[in-house]
Amino acid sequence: MAVTVKFFAYFREVFGGRECGVPAAEAATVGALLDRLGDTPQRRAELLAGAGLKPHLVIMINGAPLPPDRPLETALKDGDVVAIFPLLGGG
Amino acid sequence: MSAAPFGFFGKIIEIDLTGGDARVLPLDTALVADYLGGRGLATRLFYDAVDPQCDPLGPDNVVVIAASPLIGTTAPTSARGHMVFKSPLTGVIGTSNSGGGWGHTFKSAGYDALVIKGKADSPVWIDIAPGKIEVLPAHHLWGQDIHATNDELTSGFEAGSRPRALCIGPGGENLVLYAVVGNDKNRVYGRCGGGAVWGSKNLKAIRVQGKEKIQIHDKERYQSGYDQALYLLRQAPVTKRLMRELGTAGLVELINVINMLPHRNFQDCTHRPEDLERMSGETIAKTILEKAAGCYLCPIGCQRHTRIDGDDGSTQRGEGPEYETVVLMGPDCGIYDLAAITTANYRCNELGIDTISFGGTVACAMELGERGLLGAEKEGGLDLRFGAAAELEKLAVDTAHRRGAGALLAEGSYRLAERCGRADLSMTVKKLELPAYDPRASFTQALGYMTSPSGACHLRGGYAVSLAFFGGTKEIPRFSLLQSPIAIRNMQNTGILQDSLGVCRFTGYAFGSDPWSRMLTGVTGMDFSVFRLEEIENRVASLERLFNVEAGATAADDALPPRFAETPIVVAGEEKMVSEQAQERMRRDYYSVRGWDSEGRPTRALLEDLAIAPRAGRAS
Repeated sequence: MAVTVKFFAYFREVFGGRECGVPAAEAATVGALLDRLGDTPQRRAELLAGAGLKPHLVIMINGAPLPPDRPLETALKDGDVVAIFPLLGGG
Repeated sequence: MSAAPFGFFGKIIEIDLTGGDARVLPLDTALVADYLGGRGLATRLFYDAVDPQCDPLGPDNVVVIAASPLIGTTAPTSARGHMVFKSPLTGVIGTSNSGGGWGHTFKSAGYDALVIKGKADSPVWIDIAPGKIEVLPAHHLWGQDIHATNDELTSGFEAGSRPRALCIGPGGENLVLYAVVGNDKNRVYGRCGGGAVWGSKNLKAIRVQGKEKIQIHDKERYQSGYDQALYLLRQAPVTKRLMRELGTAGLVELINVINMLPHRNFQDCTHRPEDLERMSGETIAKTILEKAAGCYLCPIGCQRHTRIDGDDGSTQRGEGPEYETVVLMGPDCGIYDLAAITTANYRCNELGIDTISFGGTVACAMELGERGLLGAEKEGGLDLRFGAAAELEKLAVDTAHRRGAGALLAEGSYRLAERCGRADLSMTVKKLELPAYDPRASFTQALGYMTSPSGACHLRGGYAVSLAFFGGTKEIPRFSLLQSPIAIRNMQNTGILQDSLGVCRFTGYAFGSDPWSRMLTGVTGMDFSVFRLEEIENRVASLERLFNVEAGATAADDALPPRFAETPIVVAGEEKMVSEQAQERMRRDYYSVRGWDSEGRPTRALLEDLAIAPRAGRAS
């Protein structure tokens, strides 16, 4: 019973791997998940800025973006796949 | 005609290759005020010089390259040039941009724009330096690839005075409809077949050299914009570190997460993550990358200088692959082999063909082959299947030389699919191959492809994969029919501004118009407020459209291939496609946002509002 978190770009170095599982009970919302992931000052600083998400940070749940209003309150459930990456561009 | 002392030299070179005549014409300051430089200025000069009905590969086509008032300053990334011509692939405006150092050096020769007309009897190259414009025989260069030609024309000079060269390779000489013009060695004017237009004119290369300096009107004002720009470039993760670390291929896994990465000629967007990992930006950085580098004046540094070690002990070096190349020559062809993609990329760079259109054309040929739709084409040696990684490099070489199957691939996917009776299997808009973002995964991107002036291009059509794409307070929902027309207009306009300034798209990840406005106004002493810049963006968009209408394009050409309206893909658990009705609604609303009529034609009233004058020398 877990939420799967996938890391991209430099988040793989920050979190020491490509993905991890977080028990669903500890990740009821995106905010709770980020609290759990941000277990060192450095990791926390890569995810959060004050009470909100860090600018240029992109989080998608099962391929869909977070809602613009109160994104940290977005509910998560068992089996969800959360992707965390910095904004990238290309062409 | 007024003097033009600040930011530009007030000089246009016009060369008629038919007689080999070169002359220097004054650049009207009013044109700079109305069209800025780069894409805007080149489009206006092109529009005034060309018959929209001309044969793109005939002597009446015209090529214009223009610099901007910022080129010659220290403004970040401001070394880019813009080229405009009538495209032999699409029949509409060909408009292409390139980094490297040529744009900066051309300006340093003391000129603002270059207009090339006519056709030489035999191969020529053009040599430009302060006080010198010569059209010279190029028999010794004809047949050489882009790297060899560049070496031949630019080596043997003292450090600091080394010239820069644009040139075509065999792809352009052999009129491959998506041939590029190479800039330095591995930067290209890539899309729309400008290289074939050069080839049709027997123009092999243009070398430039010089140390002329522009005058800056208000250094303090310029500096205020420059400082702001540099500070912001160093704050945003994408410009501060990610491009240098991962290159554009850092997008591969990300675009897969959002179900937008095409597979097997855009039949679906389904991949095994482990297959994509073998060719991601992260993997490239850990395996084949030798060095990241930037174009002139670029602090971002997305270039990938790479090395491939062969099983036979051989080593090849080159540049790439970029995201578009990875995906279109890779998964879109059912190929997940980084070495095969990279070596084919090297050949495309050397021989001078566009990796996007080449990849899209090969993918189309593979689908035609798998469906048993190749008849007589098989006799030409074209019989491909998805996943044929071992064939890729040879196909690139054969295409550039129009040998065997390459002769069919050289025509692009639309003409190939059409001759097989299945034009619907060409993944193109206006016969230009789609970049590596499936339009079913974003209505905004879909509309960008539909309405791009040059056909399906993410750089001219608008790039929807921005921060607003991924949520947050400024999110533009990617399936919003209501918001997409305004959103894509704004994205297209941002591109017009960047192309007209001669700066890189990636600066847009750090800041918008304001720092550019300050720098431009400081350099020129002219009013380039953000409001004025928006006027210029709208003016250029409608002038490009006007040319396309006069060249014969209609609203029916602003449409996606049927696949995207008929066959859904799964995005975030839901089936998505861009129905005919959705396309019709977005097209109608987009025309309205632009101020065009219901058929997508700029109205006379709009042209007057935007102060778009009739073609020079012709009454309206």
